[in-house]
Amino acid sequence: MTTWTARAERWRCVLAWHGAVLLLSATLLSCGQHRVPSEPTSGVTPAVSSPSHLVAGDVAPATGTLRNPHAGDADVAHSGALLFTAMNCDGCHGGDATGWVGPNLGDGRWRYGSSDAEIFNSIYFGRPRGMPAFGGALGTEGVWTLVTYLRSLPAPPNVPTQSWQN
Amino acid sequence: MGFATALACANCASAAVQTAGSEDGQWTMPSKDYAATRYSGLTQITTQNARSLHPVWTFSTGVLGGHEGQPLVVADTMYVVTPWPNVLYAFDLTHEGYPLKWKYRPEVSPNALGVACCDAVNRGAFYADGKIIYNLLDGHTVAIDARSGRELWKTQIADLGNGETTTMAPLVVRDRVLVGAAGGEFGIYGWIKGLELGSGQALWSARNLGPDEEMRVRADTFRPPYDPGANLGTQSWGNDSWRTGGAPVWGWMSYDPELDLVFYGTGNPSPYNAEQRPGDNKWSTSVLARRPGDGSLVWAYQFTPHDNWDYDATGAMVLADLTVAGHPVKALVHFDKNGFAYTFDRTSGRVLVAQPFTPVNWAQSVDLGNGRPVLNAAKQTGASRGNVKDICPSLEGGVSPASPPAYSPRTHLFYTATNNLCMDFAARHTRHLRGTPFVGVDSPYSAGPGGYLGSFMAWDAAKGTKVWENKEPFPNWSGALVTAGDVVFYGTLDGWFKSADARTGRVLSKFKVGSGVVGNPITYRGPDGRQYVAVYAGIGGDWALLAGDTRSDDPADVRAPADYVKDIARHTSQGGIIWIFGL
Repeated sequence: MTTWTARAERWRCVLAWHGAVLLLSATLLSCGQHRVPSEPTSGVTPAVSSPSHLVAGDVAPATGTLRNPHAGDADVAHSGALLFTAMNCDGCHGGDATGWVGPNLGDGRWRYGSSDAEIFNSIYFGRPRGMPAFGGALGTEGVWTLVTYLRSLPAPPNVPTQSWQN
Repeated sequence: MGFATALACANCASAAVQTAGSEDGQWTMPSKDYAATRYSGLTQITTQNARSLHPVWTFSTGVLGGHEGQPLVVADTMYVVTPWPNVLYAFDLTHEGYPLKWKYRPEVSPNALGVACCDAVNRGAFYADGKIIYNLLDGHTVAIDARSGRELWKTQIADLGNGETTTMAPLVVRDRVLVGAAGGEFGIYGWIKGLELGSGQALWSARNLGPDEEMRVRADTFRPPYDPGANLGTQSWGNDSWRTGGAPVWGWMSYDPELDLVFYGTGNPSPYNAEQRPGDNKWSTSVLARRPGDGSLVWAYQFTPHDNWDYDATGAMVLADLTVAGHPVKALVHFDKNGFAYTFDRTSGRVLVAQPFTPVNWAQSVDLGNGRPVLNAAKQTGASRGNVKDICPSLEGGVSPASPPAYSPRTHLFYTATNNLCMDFAARHTRHLRGTPFVGVDSPYSAGPGGYLGSFMAWDAAKGTKVWENKEPFPNWSGALVTAGDVVFYGTLDGWFKSADARTGRVLSKFKVGSGVVGNPITYRGPDGRQYVAVYAGIGGDWALLAGDTRSDDPADVRAPADYVKDIARHTSQGGIIWIFGL
């Protein structure tokens, strides 16, 4: 059927896929077309955060052991951006993750939680309503690379009002 | 298998030969008749009285996806299929308020939402032999007892894991149910299947590309008008790219009982980066003529060889008897995404007329000698060509294939929605990963020339000329309906439903229906003997064309307006509503 559009033309570079995720970091180093996003890319907390879960009985579950080994690493975020295209994520979530048939992943709002661990789980295990499980194809390292990229996207300010009046 | 059940399908036979004189006032097939004319012989609504059309009934479907397709009316019941989750409603037209007789709520995998390329749409059902037959988005065809709502059979026809979803309306011919799958954005290996009407069992399956044997091509019966040769479905694809070459089936089908041929179009080749699939890529972006009984291919014609703009050819193939250059012709007329309108001799597949109906610059013309487009070298795309600017039409098409035209045997004119959009096209290498998108392009749109984004128009297919055109501020994604009262009906993306004079285009009535129209109006005679018009409101169908801010269902998904349709969210938002209008 139809269609593609990247609303904002940011950096994009062609990735020659070598068939194995483990080769990615080596491949990415040879790809020199990217532009550095103008916003800071590390340590950004989305301007809008959506708490994902209520907590029964005020007893929060233990956070577990999921920890992003690359949190805030701008180089890994770059690799993740290339991986986002190479794994066809942009085919549903749009160029620069701005959303298409799948949701916008750069707006600072999250259906299934905004923590690194929750985003990891969304990618690794998939979600109902069509998000495939990429854990097998990407492995843990690949998923963390994508998480680092998505967390690096500068969330726009939260402006809930859209007005057409002057 | 034989055709013993032909007599049981009396309704099919009457619809096939329907003329104005024999109009039964029903709407039992997606496109009204086998010729796909969307023409009704009903005459109560005329150019004189259409101004008094007003809503007599509405019903919220409770579903937010794009409401493509159309209701059916069989005897005193209206049947409506919603977008995913594909609920089937049966409304009793004999009681005030049209209460439900029943509803059928199938289990449809929500995973399909991530495989449907553009939205979770459904293009409608087909009535035959006491059954309502339609496709569920997750790759199943079901037959439902039209009286009781009971499921008679359910057959898996497609595989979500392959990237296949099922959005089209089936076509039933004798005891065959013809179905296909979408997935041109997922690198599927496109096909069409013939199921047995009584059991749902798949009797044959034919690929739209690949080796002759799998395409059900036999040297003694395949007669392509322009492209002789064996195994074109593999020879015209470099690097064995046919294996993931797309050519899906998600549009409309028509049938000529005299020739015993089913006509349908195929979608784009995969991926969009054409350099990964050198050659013509037959039979993607083509019209195919097959025997419904065994699926054998009789002829095929490719509109856009080596498509590098996503010009699917899944739009309707309308059958009409026309006089072209003084000669009577059994014609097939098709408005293609590539911006040309084609008039064929449907007995042979030869092109008689091919003229642009909307701004076109990827090709100069179509050479009627060899049937091929005369290309504009500056507008060819591919990864090595970088970002190719300002190609018209955009990959939304000169018309969306989901927006079928209508043909009136009274005016001898065709009526169709159009889009007036252009695009930049930056292709890049992409890798096939089963069950994920296989696309490889960035293609932002811009407004086409002339300061409008779409229209509704009348077309003389014998001459290849536009007769009248109503310009619209937004792309037009509505189907068309025309009646023997010489009234045409269509909707707009900003949520107007309009009637117009079929001969002049003069708008006779308009009403704001609550959400943009991407469905197809129908008309019928109610149990009270009066003529009614029904249409869905419910914007959707393609989230790349629509501004993200028309989406209201998910506050965890905020999108900016799209540049080319900046204001659309000022006029409409999502939500499915069935409307019925009367005098």
